[in-house]
Amino acid sequence: MKRIRISRCGTQLLAQPSSRRPPCPCAPPLQRHITPHNYRIQSRWQSTAVLADDAENTVQPKTKYPPEVLPSPHPSASRDSAKLSALRSRLSLPPRFPLETLARTLVHPSADPNSAFNNGSLSILGSNLLGYYTTEYFLCNYPRLPMSVVFAAQYAYIGPKALATIACEWGIEAAAEPGGEVDPGLLQFRRLRSGDDIPDALKLKIPKKWNITTTHKILTSDEFGSASRQPAPEELARQPVPLEEAAQSFVRALIGSLHLHLGPPAVKRFYRDHFLSRHLDLDKLFDFRTPTRDLSRLCAREGFEAPVARLISETGRLSRHPVFVVGVYSGKDKLGEGAGSSLDEARVRAAAAALKGWYLYRPVEVTVPSSTEGGMGADKWRPNMVDCGEVIV
Amino acid sequence: MSTCKTLARICSKTSRPYPLPLIQCRHESSTRRHKKLLHLPEAPSYTPDSSAPTLVFNPPSSAPNVYHTPLKFLPQNDRRRQLYSDALTVSTHSALRKKASSVAQPGTPLATSSLLPPIPSVSLPSPVRQPYNKKYHLTEEDIEEIRKLRTKNPNTWTRVKLAEKFGCSQFFVSMVVKAPEKAERVSAEHQQARERWGPRRRMAREDRARRKEMWGRDE
Repeated sequence: MKRIRISRCGTQLLAQPSSRRPPCPCAPPLQRHITPHNYRIQSRWQSTAVLADDAENTVQPKTKYPPEVLPSPHPSASRDSAKLSALRSRLSLPPRFPLETLARTLVHPSADPNSAFNNGSLSILGSNLLGYYTTEYFLCNYPRLPMSVVFAAQYAYIGPKALATIACEWGIEAAAEPGGEVDPGLLQFRRLRSGDDIPDALKLKIPKKWNITTTHKILTSDEFGSASRQPAPEELARQPVPLEEAAQSFVRALIGSLHLHLGPPAVKRFYRDHFLSRHLDLDKLFDFRTPTRDLSRLCAREGFEAPVARLISETGRLSRHPVFVVGVYSGKDKLGEGAGSSLDEARVRAAAAALKGWYLYRPVEVTVPSSTEGGMGADKWRPNMVDCGEVIV
Repeated sequence: MSTCKTLARICSKTSRPYPLPLIQCRHESSTRRHKKLLHLPEAPSYTPDSSAPTLVFNPPSSAPNVYHTPLKFLPQNDRRRQLYSDALTVSTHSALRKKASSVAQPGTPLATSSLLPPIPSVSLPSPVRQPYNKKYHLTEEDIEEIRKLRTKNPNTWTRVKLAEKFGCSQFFVSMVVKAPEKAERVSAEHQQARERWGPRRRMAREDRARRKEMWGRDE
C-alpha cells in the first residue's frame, strides 16, 4: 500500500510556533525535535491562528458540486479542518495517518449511504479487531474464567457503551445535522429525535431458539453473547440513529483504519493504551447462586478433599451485630475466607471467595497469539494454559 | 426520650440501706502495673533473626485478595508453587525457632498473614458444622419403604420423620419420593400467611432475601 505523504499539508497556513508561557531564562532550551509519544501529553506545538494575508490561499475543495448538495464533507475539505488535526494530535497518531481517512471514520452510514465515503466497512474491520484482541487477552490471561464472565468483561471493555464513552473522552463532537458544508472534524450521523423509537435495524434479534446455551451464544451471537446482532451498514442508511451507535462506529472504524494505514503493531499499541488501560474489577462480575455446592463439586472434580468451613474468629455472637470470620479449608489448605453477620453468611461468602480464587487464576507468563503475527516473536511463543471449563452442577 | 435517670431518682437512692464500712479495694490502677502487664514479647514478624535490614511484612487484618490464587488451586507446572513452598519452609523454620506470643496466636490480628500458607504444625480452627461422611447405608428395600410410607400418608410421614427413621437427610427423602399435592397445599398455606403480612414485615423479609442474594455477589 502506498503511503500518502501529507504530513506537511497545511503547515504553511499555521503561524510560527509560540511557546505557551514565557520561557524561563535559567531553564535549558526545550528539545523541540522530540515528538511526544504519549497521548496524554496534549501540548500544542503550533498555533492554529491563520494569518490575515493567507486567507486567500486557503484551498477550496475543487468539486463541481457545491458542498451543500453532498451528503458528507468532501475528502479534500479535511485538510483544512483544525478539528481533525487536533484530534490526530490528541490521539498521538503519526502524521502519516491521513486526515482524509480520519474524516471518513467520522461519517456514519446514516449520514452518507455511499459505502465509499462512510465508515461502515472500516467499522466492521475494527469491530473484529477489537473483539480479537480483547478475547485473546481474557482467554490467555484468565484461562479459567467462566464464559458468562468473559462476555460481561468484553462488554465492559469494548461494548457499545464503553466505546461511546471512549469517543466522548477523546473529545468527539457531533454535528447537529450531516451535510457537505459541515466541518469534517465533527461526528456526522442522522440524529434520532428525542422521544422517537429506535429504527428496526437496531432492534434486530437473533432467531429465537428454545435451547439457548452458552455454546449457542459462542457460536451464533457476537462477542458479548447478546441476543441482538450488529446491523449491516446498508440497513442503517438514512435511518435516524442514537449518538451511542454513531460514536461506537467511529471508534471501531478508527481501529480498522489504523490497521490498514499503520499496521498491526501500532494498532496493538493503541489498543493497549486506550482500551486495556481501563480498569475493570473482574471479581465484581461474578454472581454465584449456590457457591457452597459449586465449591464442593469443584473439589470433587479436581480430586481435593471436601471443603470444610471453619470458624477463624468471631466477635459479639450474642450481640446485635456479630461478626464471624469463616475460612473454607480443603484438608489443611485454606481456599477462601469470608466475613459475615451470621455463620451462614460468612460460610457462603467464604465459598464464593474460594470460587473466585479458582476462576481468577492468572498464569505467570503469557504470550498472546497476536504477538507472533508476521513471524515476529514466534521463537518466544509458549503454549497457553487451557482449562477444562467452569463448574457445572 | 432520654434513658438517663433523672437527678431526683439518683439522689433518692444515695442513702445507704445498710451500714457497711467503706473498704478500700485496690484494682490494677497504677501506671507501673499497667506497663508491666502490657509488656508483651514482640510479634515474630517484627523480630528478624539477622541484623541485616529485612523487609517487615505485617499487613493489617483484612479479607485476603481473591486475585491471590491459593496454593491448592495452582496448576502443577506453575512457578508460584516453588515460591510458596520456599516461603513455607522459611516461615516454618522461623515459627519453630521463635515461639509466637499469646497475642500472635492464630486467630488474632497479629497471626501469620493469610497470604502465606498456614504453618503445618498449627492446628486448624474448629469447623462451623461437624463434618460428616456419607454413609450410603440404605438398600433398595429401605427406599421402597420410604416411598410407600410417604405416598400412603404424607401428613404423618413427613420428610423430617422419614429422615429420622432411616438416618438419612431430608434432601435424600425428597429425591427418592415426592408428594406434589402436599407440596402444593403447603405452599398455598405459606402464600396465605405471606398475604397477611403487614408492610413492615413484608419489607423486612424482602430486604433479607435481597441481602442473601448479595452474599454470592460478594457485595
